[in-house]
Amino acid sequence: MTCIWAVARQMIAEGIRMKIAFVFLVLIGVVLVGLPFSIEGDGSVAGAVQSFISYSLLASGFFLSLLTIFMSRSLSDDFVNQNLFLIVSKPIPRWQFILGKWAGMTLLNLAFLSFAGLSVYGMVRYIQSSHPTAANERDARELHEEVLTARHARKYIEPDLTALVEQEFEKNLELGIYANRPDFDPEAMKLSIFRKYDARWRLVPPRDSRVFNFDSVLCNRSKDETIQLRYKAEVTGYAPDEVFRAVFRFGDPLKGTPLYDVPVRHTIRRYHLVRAPADCVAEDHTLKVTFFNENPFAEEKQAHNLLEIRKGDDVEVLFAVGAFGWNLVRMLVLMMCKLMFLAAVSILSATVFSFPVACLTTFTIYVLASVRRFLEESFDFLLGSDVKLFDSLRDFLLQATAQVYAMLQWLLPDFGRFDALETLVNGRNVGLVWVLQGVADLVILKTVVVLGLAILLFYRREVAETSF
Amino acid sequence: MVKQDIPVVQTVGLCKSFKDFWRRPRVEAVKDLNLEIQPGEVFGLLGPNGSGKTTTIKMLLGLLYPTRGRISLFGRSPSDVAVKARIGFLPEESYLYRFLVAHETLDYFGSLFRLPRRIRKDRTEKLLDMVGLRHEAKRPIGEYSKGMARRIGLAQALINDPEFLILDEPTSGLDPVGARQIKDVIRELGRKGKTILLSSHVLSDVEDVCDRVTILYGGQQRAAGDISELLRNRDVTQFTTPALSTETIEQLGQLVRKLEKKDILEVSNPRTKLEDYFLQIVEEAQRANIRTSGARASGEMPEFLKVAADSTTDTVIDTLIEATTIPATEETKQPSPVEEPVDRTREIVESLLKQSADDTANSEDEMANPITSSDTNVNTDEGLPKTSHRADSAVIDELLGPSANDNRPSDGDKP
Repeated sequence: MTCIWAVARQMIAEGIRMKIAFVFLVLIGVVLVGLPFSIEGDGSVAGAVQSFISYSLLASGFFLSLLTIFMSRSLSDDFVNQNLFLIVSKPIPRWQFILGKWAGMTLLNLAFLSFAGLSVYGMVRYIQSSHPTAANERDARELHEEVLTARHARKYIEPDLTALVEQEFEKNLELGIYANRPDFDPEAMKLSIFRKYDARWRLVPPRDSRVFNFDSVLCNRSKDETIQLRYKAEVTGYAPDEVFRAVFRFGDPLKGTPLYDVPVRHTIRRYHLVRAPADCVAEDHTLKVTFFNENPFAEEKQAHNLLEIRKGDDVEVLFAVGAFGWNLVRMLVLMMCKLMFLAAVSILSATVFSFPVACLTTFTIYVLASVRRFLEESFDFLLGSDVKLFDSLRDFLLQATAQVYAMLQWLLPDFGRFDALETLVNGRNVGLVWVLQGVADLVILKTVVVLGLAILLFYRREVAETSF
Repeated sequence: MVKQDIPVVQTVGLCKSFKDFWRRPRVEAVKDLNLEIQPGEVFGLLGPNGSGKTTTIKMLLGLLYPTRGRISLFGRSPSDVAVKARIGFLPEESYLYRFLVAHETLDYFGSLFRLPRRIRKDRTEKLLDMVGLRHEAKRPIGEYSKGMARRIGLAQALINDPEFLILDEPTSGLDPVGARQIKDVIRELGRKGKTILLSSHVLSDVEDVCDRVTILYGGQQRAAGDISELLRNRDVTQFTTPALSTETIEQLGQLVRKLEKKDILEVSNPRTKLEDYFLQIVEEAQRANIRTSGARASGEMPEFLKVAADSTTDTVIDTLIEATTIPATEETKQPSPVEEPVDRTREIVESLLKQSADDTANSEDEMANPITSSDTNVNTDEGLPKTSHRADSAVIDELLGPSANDNRPSDGDKP
């Protein structure tokens, strides 16, 4: 442990005194201090805070990733400048040296990320108090309830249409509709019927209603607390001003909750939040929300539109489960996991290549990990049809690239999967399970494998070898 | 402690070839090298550039892997961490981190030896004193001159009080004070029973400190043996006395002719070595507290590196003075008993001493500052029976101290 700590301290000292870390620290500082004075967002305090959090953490993450990539130069330089002659001749096992280098990078990242996190938190409080609209009660509430919070989301329970589907299927059988159909497939028929009923359920005719049921709404059921319903609606007909009027009723009298009617006047095809006191949630933490396609505003006219809640546009209920501060911390932990993996890749690259090849290799892996989902979709799209290996040079290259990528995939993490920035900005809860998944996948599994590979290569390498 | 029956270094059929990109052998740097260094030896590894000295050292340290052959250090593999804990290494260049300051550098390398913090701190201070860089300990190594960096390199090599010290071109880039200091350290460690492997181009350095040498050429061992045996000139006898008058020299010539039937070949006032003169000037400047941003070789040899039984070597400067001065007491000191029979050479020496007794009394002041031209060298050729040469050297050494060899006249000296 003494040796690991000694190497880590040396690495930190190098980062700071060789000014690599200093440069990135200044860049992060400039972004964090300069952004609040240059961004406007949508004019509201919530928008300004969201823009600041988004840009500042994005920039901090990017700069720290670059710092980690450039820090790989330290080990490359140890080879080139032959500093390793003095280290390898000392009684430090090589694995401890590699681990020390990684620990140094990680501690440096941890310190800088903590600085960034604290600065973001402080600047958010500054914006909150100094923004021109901060005194506006509505804006302040929007900021408090939609941004500076950690909300958990529950999707509604899909209606059980099985009975209806079975009933119609049996009826069709009796009527002989499926007779003389050589391609008759009962399951396909049932699916077809299900789709019909599902689409019908999603369409809400004028003066009709739909019920959305939620369970596990584990919020504080106090009247002073608020729950939010997030939804988006379409109209099948023409809406003159692209606005529809409707009523949401929160609560279930059968479960003894109060009822709250919330009239809304909302724009179509955009997400909206509808708020209600949290005591509308039943004691068993279920929530019933009824959507009425009725115009509650007597003085306003409304066309008799058919409103539609589409399948992809999930209706969800949001409720606070934590504070912004801890949410930020969990988001930073996920960022840290990525940096720890990147540090391991940097070390691995430096054991094989010298500067700048090591940095370029690490940067490439960083980019690939960041766009992995896009790459997967691209390969799936390109190789979706029956591509033969030797049909053309293009197909051959595609197949070869895809195969290489497939081999690398087990090692290459999906940074996008653990990107919690949008979640944080939207005031959503960065779940502990998600964080633990990030730790397990990025650190315990992939970082350990990459570091193991680096140690193996470092053990095999002759440090005094000149021809590399 | 090292067991006497286990060599500190043993190589058997050691070969190293460097390969090109296609893994084809490009250079065969070391060929079939068999080395054995015993505990307590100061061993010199000599050879011209490209002879395989540094490659051999790198293999001993595990920086390179042998292509063929076997290496053992203390009877174990060079990659063994426990073995490395017993080794100190000063490479030919200062491969130190430029951004660390001196005490951080020593603390860092001390940490790699898992030395407790207190010991690291203590040794760091003492080693910085020893190499004369305590006053520059807060400067990054990158700002140091080459010589200063070498001094820190030496300090890091000693931080663990190594049993086996590997020094690759240790005096390269050092000023004469530093070079002398390194040689003193080597001697001191040699006296303490440490094993030292010294690789150098500076043959006088090797000659001054090594017990045994191996000469490499083209990666192969060309010669090996005890250095005093290899370099002994059995055809000449030399002794040095305080300055003699012309009459005494003439009488001495007659005495030699009478006893040995041979002529004295050369009578001269020995020139002091430039190294000694330079050291004297530096010492005077240091005593006068003249400011310098460079090294000040005025520190003490750390306790942990001192010979426990030897209390005469107190400081590095003492060591330097001792090495460059014939002590005033030497003259009156009784020679140690010599096991071999005292022969005619002894008689000559005794006669000389007797004849110059008056001169000696007068020249005592000069003896305290011997870097003068008041000494006389007398060389005779084939004047003594060869069987008595060993005893002659021992007697002269005892009489005149270890610096007698230093006063050997150079080839350019005239009779």
